[in-house]
Amino acid sequence: MTSLARRIAWSLAVVWAVVSIAFAVNTLLPGDPARMASGPQARPADVARIANQLGLDRPPIVQYALFWKRLVHVGPRLQGAQADPGHTSCAPVVSIGRWALHVDFGRSFQLRQPVIDVVLARLPRTFALAVAGLLVQLVLGIATGTAAATLRGSWIDRLLVGTSLLGISAPTFLIALSLQYVLAYELRWLPLDGFGTTPGEHARCLVLPALTLGIYGAAYYTRLTRDEMSVLLRSGWVRTARAKGLSPLRVTTSHALRNALVPIVTAMGLDLGALMGGAVVTETVFRWPGLGELSVRAMLNRDGPVTLACVVVTSLAIVASNLLVDLTYRRLDPRVTARQGPGTR
Amino acid sequence: MRSIPTRRDVRAAACIGLVVTAAAGCHEQLAAPIPARSDDSAAPRPGGTLHLASLADVRTLDPAGPLDALSGEAIHLIFAGLVDYDQEARVVPDLADHWDVDDDGRTVRFTLRRGVVMHDGTELTADDVKRSVERSLHPSTPNPNTSYFANIDGYEAYASRGADHLRGVAVEGPYVVSFHLAAADATFLPLLAMLTLRPTCRSATDRYADTWLPCGAGPFKLEADGWQRGTSLRLVRHSMYFRSGLPYLDAVEWTYGMQFLAQRFRFEQGELDMTHDLTQSDLARFVADERWRPYGAAEADTSIFGESMNTRLPPFDNVEIRRAVAAAIDRDHYRMIKPANMTPLSQVIPPAVPGYDPTFEGQRYDYAAALEHMRAAGYPFDPATGRGGWPHPVEYLLYDQGVVLYTAQVLQQELAKIGIHIALKVVSWPAFLAMRTDASRAGMSLGSWGMDYPDPSTFFEPLFASAALAGESTYSSAFYSNPRLDDLLNRARREGDPASRARLYGEANAIVCSDAPWAFTFGFHWFDLRQPYVRGFAPHPVWLRDVSRVWLDRASSGAGR
Repeated sequence: MTSLARRIAWSLAVVWAVVSIAFAVNTLLPGDPARMASGPQARPADVARIANQLGLDRPPIVQYALFWKRLVHVGPRLQGAQADPGHTSCAPVVSIGRWALHVDFGRSFQLRQPVIDVVLARLPRTFALAVAGLLVQLVLGIATGTAAATLRGSWIDRLLVGTSLLGISAPTFLIALSLQYVLAYELRWLPLDGFGTTPGEHARCLVLPALTLGIYGAAYYTRLTRDEMSVLLRSGWVRTARAKGLSPLRVTTSHALRNALVPIVTAMGLDLGALMGGAVVTETVFRWPGLGELSVRAMLNRDGPVTLACVVVTSLAIVASNLLVDLTYRRLDPRVTARQGPGTR
Repeated sequence: MRSIPTRRDVRAAACIGLVVTAAAGCHEQLAAPIPARSDDSAAPRPGGTLHLASLADVRTLDPAGPLDALSGEAIHLIFAGLVDYDQEARVVPDLADHWDVDDDGRTVRFTLRRGVVMHDGTELTADDVKRSVERSLHPSTPNPNTSYFANIDGYEAYASRGADHLRGVAVEGPYVVSFHLAAADATFLPLLAMLTLRPTCRSATDRYADTWLPCGAGPFKLEADGWQRGTSLRLVRHSMYFRSGLPYLDAVEWTYGMQFLAQRFRFEQGELDMTHDLTQSDLARFVADERWRPYGAAEADTSIFGESMNTRLPPFDNVEIRRAVAAAIDRDHYRMIKPANMTPLSQVIPPAVPGYDPTFEGQRYDYAAALEHMRAAGYPFDPATGRGGWPHPVEYLLYDQGVVLYTAQVLQQELAKIGIHIALKVVSWPAFLAMRTDASRAGMSLGSWGMDYPDPSTFFEPLFASAALAGESTYSSAFYSNPRLDDLLNRARREGDPASRARLYGEANAIVCSDAPWAFTFGFHWFDLRQPYVRGFAPHPVWLRDVSRVWLDRASSGAGR
């Protein structure tokens, strides 16, 4: 438990450091957010007034302090905290009596909406795409990697390895456009892009972006699984299992594959965190309204509140997925817990 | 242990790659246009939904908000103004039945049409006009166009919160509203026709709020939940629109953030009825295709591009060098980069803006003259030996998007021919906006400006008037100042007679072209493609894709090749 608490505290420190660096970079980069919000042809007097409205005429250190002060704070418990004039950009997360814990990223300079609303609308979509993409990666990667290891040296092995090389080499936009062209434009099986309005349409719209991410990332899992499985399938205990008369399928899946999962889970955890930051190219090509496209646009427009919110969410996702990986290790490989000793649990 | 790709792996990958590339390359033929049901003489038929798309997204649907070109496309359909622009960009009555000018041009009195019903069912009155103007110009409103209206009497007091109401806007009856100006201003009516001060429904109250849903008196209104921010917008017909019989369409639907390729696919399949976001290669194919040629139209040229030279820094503090640059640029070389979108430009006013004089020569390519200007400047250049010219490289500031990355390279080659060597400094768009206004930093930079309202002043005053240099921030990247030009511009602003105004701007144009703070290079316009069944469309000089009079006459769902 102490170890877990220490990991969580360390993770929060990492998030703080990342967000602080992002704030500094956002402030130091040349470019005036008020000018970007006003438009390239707005007159200087109008730009100055809008800078004042957005609080951009305050010193950066004050803006930094205000960001942290309002990020998590206690506010009134209301039917939607945004009904309170002082909390129009807040989202209440936990309520205690008349009070509630609020999360507040401020208002977007460009979209003129509470950033929390923008992020909360996009977060589930990014999560859906990340999970779907990762699932395709794992299913394709582990299946082909296992097949390649089992048939090592055969033409099937070479074909699978060659295909995985193509997957690794091809940029995502190429995969995306090829899939879009064949499956959506020529065959018309799936929507070209978009998000849809019903759950069924969401699912249909998710297929192509998930396949894009899946094909791109599966290549890595194919190679990882093949390499791990090749070693394991030649190990003594697998030979013993075979000698005991276990079926080849059982030997491969229950014995070899299970032991190959530790590095796969490590890679998966890192990938999930990275994908939660948004798959920028895939989201853009398929008009999937997730965090990746949002964060890039915010950065290009110097929309500080949105940029920082995306950094907070992404860094939280990465540290959370790393924590999850650590916990999963203990399940998959009891030796990890044993090495740490009982006192460290 | 990681596997290292073998030669066989590489061969297999290459084969698969070739198959994919070949499959994609097979698609060369454009789909056929989807024909109209009836011939050109058919009367407009009401009904149908027009589907449009854009790569970008709208930021606001509030005329008092931070507008951009894409917002304008929708806002002008939702909000009617007291006055509007016609197809020649002239100011014409819209919600106003007529107007009178009094007091030596300092009072403009509008008489409203009776019985104009807004989207919420209420009748438009003079009180709505005054409330909407005050809402838009209030200092708490994020309106980036407020200072355009600083000439309205009492603006200063209102903008500094010294007054609760704007004195210069007076209600003189239920249907009569007057605007009192501090000084006569010929640009007031073109400014008023912009979107900023258009009347809003009473639900807008007298103060701006981000959460207000747009409601006006235009031909279309926002459908309930019709705006999915970042994704789509759907407007439906305002059945009580004051122009009887209009609009013809039941609805207009935009999809935002759609990539060029997806737009082309959807347009070919008839899922989009019009498009203008196409890759250069696709656009060239549509333009070259006989079947599509009748259904393409260039939008109005309302923007100017040029090479801005900092008149406070060497070598461009020398007018002869600036003239040499202006004469050394062959504008046709620029146009070759995107022939369907670019028009050679040799003067301040672009072709679609009133005041443009096609007979005025302005700056023109003349290589011999350019060399002569270099000699007159004291830096003769010998093209045969490559000796002479300006001895130091000149930094050229530009941003990292679009066509300007290519035009900069053309400029580099053109100026090398007269002995000026420029070093490109490519920065992001926000950095560019910040750096171009620093007189000590940018020796030469990309100049660009889009029309804010159809009048020559929209180009001259921000870019070349001395008044634009006041304060810390300016967009006059040439830092040019000329008292004679200032005098002409001030007179032109006050001049009410169109012919006299045109003469004054003609003189101003000649001064700027001769002094060459900018070497004008090209104008940029979009190219609209529509399916044949989209009828009644003509690009508008201000609203560009104006679909208020469009009707649909579709026969089939098509997409054959």
